[in-house]
Formats: sequence, structure tokens, C-alpha cells
Amino acid sequence: MAKNTSSSAFRKIDVDQYNEDNFREGEDDAVDSAAAGPDENEITSLLTQGKGVEALLSALQNAPLRCKNQHVKDHALNITLRVLLSIKSTQIDQAIDSVEQNDLMDVLMKYIYRGFEIPSEGSSGHLLQWHEKAFAKGGVGCIVRVLSDTNRA
Amino acid sequence: MAATLKPYLTAVRHSLTAAMCLQDFPSQVVERHNKPEVEICSSKELVLTPIVVSRNEREKVLIEPSINSVRVSIAVKQADEIERILCHKFTRFMMRRAESFIILRRKPIEGYDISFLITNFHTEQMYKHKLVDFVISFMEEIDKEISEMKLAVNARARTCAEEFLKRF
Repeated sequence: MAKNTSSSAFRKIDVDQYNEDNFREGEDDAVDSAAAGPDENEITSLLTQGKGVEALLSALQNAPLRCKNQHVKDHALNITLRVLLSIKSTQIDQAIDSVEQNDLMDVLMKYIYRGFEIPSEGSSGHLLQWHEKAFAKGGVGCIVRVLSDTNRA
Repeated sequence: MAATLKPYLTAVRHSLTAAMCLQDFPSQVVERHNKPEVEICSSKELVLTPIVVSRNEREKVLIEPSINSVRVSIAVKQADEIERILCHKFTRFMMRRAESFIILRRKPIEGYDISFLITNFHTEQMYKHKLVDFVISFMEEIDKEISEMKLAVNARARTCAEEFLKRF
């Protein structure tokens, strides 16, 4: 027989956490923390040689999207942002063409949106041009994939 | 400066169009309840990646989408003290009458001046493109309104000072 008590502590217990079908994050996908992000030296040398497009491709191909370490991601963001800002407005179209051929539009869009979060002098204006041209190529689907992908940039 | 306004608004428009894909979604925790998931955050899989579109350090828009609701927060340009006061008064005036604006949120998100909360019921009742248009024209109008009010305040102050100093 249950004992009658005045305690109401049992009301505070969150019983929903014991549900079997609760969503747990990052269980199924293997964590590859080995991904170190883009190679900074390689990209710097590409940039100094004036090969902005190659530098961008290299940065996007090695983006540590599945990595869980925020420091690695921030570091990659800084490198990619530097590449994005160093490419001149007249070269953006050409860069986006080659990004699309390599199927990296979604990664590029992720980095454009991340770049908006840390505005610095003149960077937003340049990123807005990137956004406009990337949208013209990738369409709404490109933005939707940025929103819904759990592998954040 | 003026050159970045149009691309800024187009970027916000495209991002909003993408984010405003909402569907009816009853609460997973309480039966017969239907809550905006972006406010409740009951489960991580229902809230999507928040995105920011910024024009400069001060002017930016934060879009937080989820399965049945999207929260849009706007930071308005405030160059000096007068603009800050005017903006505060103006947004507070509207947020006190949030029911009449339907999609307005009663409190802004921290770091922003005004927030909208759009749920799937709003997108069912109203056209999605009209909602996007409304947010965009609101962003245009609020800048214009504040600079107009600033001019009016300054003009009035000048007339007052002139009248007052006539006596000396």
C-alpha cells in the first residue's frame, strides 16, 4: 500500500527523459576528430600567388564540418573568410562556377552565413555580393540545406 | 553606405523565404498542445541552424527557424544617443501593441531591437510572400521613420531655443 506523504518532489521529475524514442544527437555518425581543417600554409601560398579560386576550393574541400571541436571550426572559418574576402568582386562569378563544378555550393553558403556573424570593416558588404551570386547559382535549396544540415560550419 | 542596402535586403528576403517553410507540429511532450518550437526548444532535432545576415556591426538580422515557427530579430542602426532613444521608444510603442501586429513578439531577443515570431498558423492564414514583404518593408520603414523623427526633434529644439532666447 502506498504511503501518503505531503512531499510533492515527485512532480518535478522530468519523466520524459526516459522515453525510448527521444532524439539523441550525434549517436549514429562516427566522430572523426582527426579532420584538422584546411591547411593554412598551402592556402596562404596560393593566395600570395594570386590563385584565389584554388585557395577557396582547397579551403572548402577540407572544411571540418563533421568535426565536434569548436576551435578547429573557428580556425577553419577564419581561413575561409580570409580567402573569401581576398577574392575580388570581379572574380566571384568565376570562383562560384568552379565551386559549383566541385559540388561545394552548400559548404560555401555555410561559410558565407558564418561570416555574417562576425562583421568587420567592409566584410559584410563583400559577403553580401558573395551571397547574391551564390544564391543566383544555388537557389533557395542552397539556403535550406544550410538551415537544416546538422553538420554546421 | 547606400550601396549595401539593396543587397542586404535581398539577402534577408532570400533567407526568409528559405526559412519560412513551416508545418503544423503538435508538441511531443504535452498532448493537445501546439507550441512554437523555436521558443520551447523541447528537442534539438526540431530547431534548425540559426543564421545571421549583417550589413555592418550594428545592422543585422537573426533568423532562427524551427519546424513550426521562425523567429526574426532585427538590430536597427543607431548612430547616436538621439537615435538610440527614438528607436527604443518606437519599438516599445509597437511591442506594447503586439496583438495588432499579429506576428510581433512582445520582447526582443537580447542584442536586437525588435523580434517577430511567425508560426505555421500565420503562414496558413496569410500569404508567405506577403509576410516576407512585410518584414522587408518594415526594415526599410523603420530606418526612414527614425531619421525623420530625429530631424523633427532637432527642428523643434531649434525653434524652442530661438523663441526662448528672443527675450534676452
